[in-house]
Amino acid sequence: MAQNVTNVSQTEEVSSTRRVIAASSVGTLIEWYDFYIFGTLAKIISEQFFPKDNPTAALLATLATFAAGFVIRPFGALFFGRLGDLIGRKYTFLVTLVIMGGSTFAIGLVPGYKTIGFFAPAIVFVLRLLQGLALGGEYGGAATYVAEHSPAGQRGFWTSFIQTTATLGLFLALGVILIVRQTLGVETFSDWGWRIPFLLSALLVGVSVFIRMKMSESPMFVKMKKEGKTSANPLAESFKQKDNLKMVLIALLGATAGQGVVWYTGQFYALSFLQNTCNVEFVQSNMIISIALLIGTPFFVVFGALSDKIGRKYIMMAGMLIAVLSYGPLYNSMYDNANLKNKIEIVEKTTVETKEAVKGTDNITTTVTKKTFTDGTTYKETQKLTVPLDEAKKAELAAAGKLKPETKKETTLSDSIKNKMIGIVLIQVIFVTMVYGPIAAFLVEIFPTRIRYTSMSLPYHIGNGVFGGLVPLIATRLVEASKEPGYSNPLTNAINSFTGHIGTPAGQVDPLAGLMYPILIASVSFIIGMLYISNKTNNMDVE
Amino acid sequence: MSAIKRLFGIVWTLMGVGIIPLVIMQAMKEIAAKPSEENWIFWSIVIVVLMPIISFSLITFGVFALKGEYDVIA
Repeated sequence: MAQNVTNVSQTEEVSSTRRVIAASSVGTLIEWYDFYIFGTLAKIISEQFFPKDNPTAALLATLATFAAGFVIRPFGALFFGRLGDLIGRKYTFLVTLVIMGGSTFAIGLVPGYKTIGFFAPAIVFVLRLLQGLALGGEYGGAATYVAEHSPAGQRGFWTSFIQTTATLGLFLALGVILIVRQTLGVETFSDWGWRIPFLLSALLVGVSVFIRMKMSESPMFVKMKKEGKTSANPLAESFKQKDNLKMVLIALLGATAGQGVVWYTGQFYALSFLQNTCNVEFVQSNMIISIALLIGTPFFVVFGALSDKIGRKYIMMAGMLIAVLSYGPLYNSMYDNANLKNKIEIVEKTTVETKEAVKGTDNITTTVTKKTFTDGTTYKETQKLTVPLDEAKKAELAAAGKLKPETKKETTLSDSIKNKMIGIVLIQVIFVTMVYGPIAAFLVEIFPTRIRYTSMSLPYHIGNGVFGGLVPLIATRLVEASKEPGYSNPLTNAINSFTGHIGTPAGQVDPLAGLMYPILIASVSFIIGMLYISNKTNNMDVE
Repeated sequence: MSAIKRLFGIVWTLMGVGIIPLVIMQAMKEIAAKPSEENWIFWSIVIVVLMPIISFSLITFGVFALKGEYDVIA
C-alpha cells in the first residue's frame, strides 16, 4: 500500500515536472524564434531599412543592429534577473515574453526607409534593443524555474529541454521563413512577405502567455520568500561580494564564453559561410542547416542527462576542445565541396541569356549565366546592370566608377554533396550540444537561490550574447581583412601544408580567416575551464 | 595544482592588460588607413563593448587566481 502511494506520488511529480518543462520551453522557444528571425533576414532587413548606396555598409549596419541585440542582453539579464530574484521567476519571465513578442510584431509593421527615411532604421534599432533586453531576462528565468522544479540528480536532464529551445527556435525561424518564401515567391517575399514571420510572433506569444499564466511560482522561491530570505539587493550581492563574483567570472571565462562562440559558429556562422563564402543557394543552405539542427537537437538531452552521471565539466570541455581542433578541417571541407574549381563543367549545357528593359529613368540589362557540372551541381550567376537613360547622369556615374553590375551567385549542390554538407554541419551541431546541453544545470548549481536569476543570467548573456553574438560581425571582418597584402593566417597555413593547397593568393579572400576568433576564444575558455572548474555533478545544494 | 592555477593567474592578468594597447593600436592603424563608416562601426563595437569585458574579466579573474582564491573550488 505504502509502495503504491510512493509510486503515485512519484508519477505525479514527474508529470508536474513535465508540465513545467513544456510550459517554460514553449515560451523560451518562441523568444528565440523572435530573436532569430531578425538575424536570419539580415540581408532583406538591410535593404528595407538602411540606405542602399553602399551594400556592405548596409549589411554591416544590420549586423551592428544584430550585435546590438546581443550586446544589450547582459543589461536585460541584470534588470530582469534582479526583478526575478525580488518578485519571483514566474511574473518576470511573463513580462519578458510580452516585451519580446510586442517588439517582434512591431518590427513587422515598421515602414521601410523609402517611406519614412531615417526613422525606419531608428525605430528598428530601438525595437531590436527591446528584443535583446527581453531575451536577457528570459533565459535565466526559464533555466532557474525549471532547475528549481527538477529533482536532484536529474537537473542536467530536465534543464536540457530548455537548452533545446535556442536551436529549435532557430529551426522554427528558418522553417517559417522558407515556407513563407516558397509560398509567396522570392520577389513578393523580398518586397513585403518578410514581414509575415515577424507578425506571426503575436499569435505564438499569445498562446505562450496563456500557458505561462497557468503556471505556479518556483517552489524554492516561494519557500524562501515565506521565510523572508530573499535578497534585498541581488545586484550588489551578486557582483560586489567576492565569493559570488569569483563564480560569475569562472562561469563567464571558463564556460559561457567558449560555449557562446561554439554555439554561434556551429549554427549561424555555418549558415553565413554556406551562403556568402560557398554561394550555396538560399533555400538549399537553409535546408542544410535546418536538417542538421533537427537531427542534432536530441543530443542536447543526451549530453544533459549524461552530465548528471559523469559531471558537467568534462562534457563541456570536450565539446570546446574538439571544436577548436576540427573547425579548420571541417570548414575547409565545406569550402572544397562547394568550390566550382574542383568540379568539371559540362560546357554544352552552359547557357547565357541577356535581357534589356527600361524601368523608369533607367535601362536595366540582366545577364543570366547557367552552368551544369558533372556531379549534378548547378550554378547560376545573375548580373544586373542599371544605367541611367540620361547621358549626363550616366557619364557622372561612370566617372565615379559606379557603373558596375550587381552580381548574384547561386550554387545548387548535388544531392550527394548536399548530404555531405548536412553531415559536416551536424558534426558542428553535436559540438554545440556538448557545450550547451549541460550548461544550464552547471550555472544554476554554482549560485544560491536568493541571487540565482541575477548571477547566472549575466555570465550566460555576456558569454553567449557578446562573445558568441559577435561571431558573425568579427568573422566577416576577418574574412575581409584576409584580402590585404601581407595577410597570413596560421590556421589556413597549417591546413594548406597538410592538404597540399597552395595558399590564398594576395587580393583573394581566405575562407577560413573568420574562424580565428571562435577558435581563440574557445581555446582560452577551455584552458580556464579545465584548470579552475570542478567536475561536480549535482552535489551542490540548489536550495 | 594550486601553484599552476596561481601561475596562470599572471598569464590572465597580463593578457587582460596587454589586450588594451594591442586593440587600440590596431584600430588606429586600420581607421587611419581607411577611415570608412564600416571601420568606425566595427572598431567602436570592439573597443567600447568587447575589449572592456575581456580586459576587466581577465584582469579580475587573474588577480583572484594569483591570490589563491581559486585554489579550492567549492
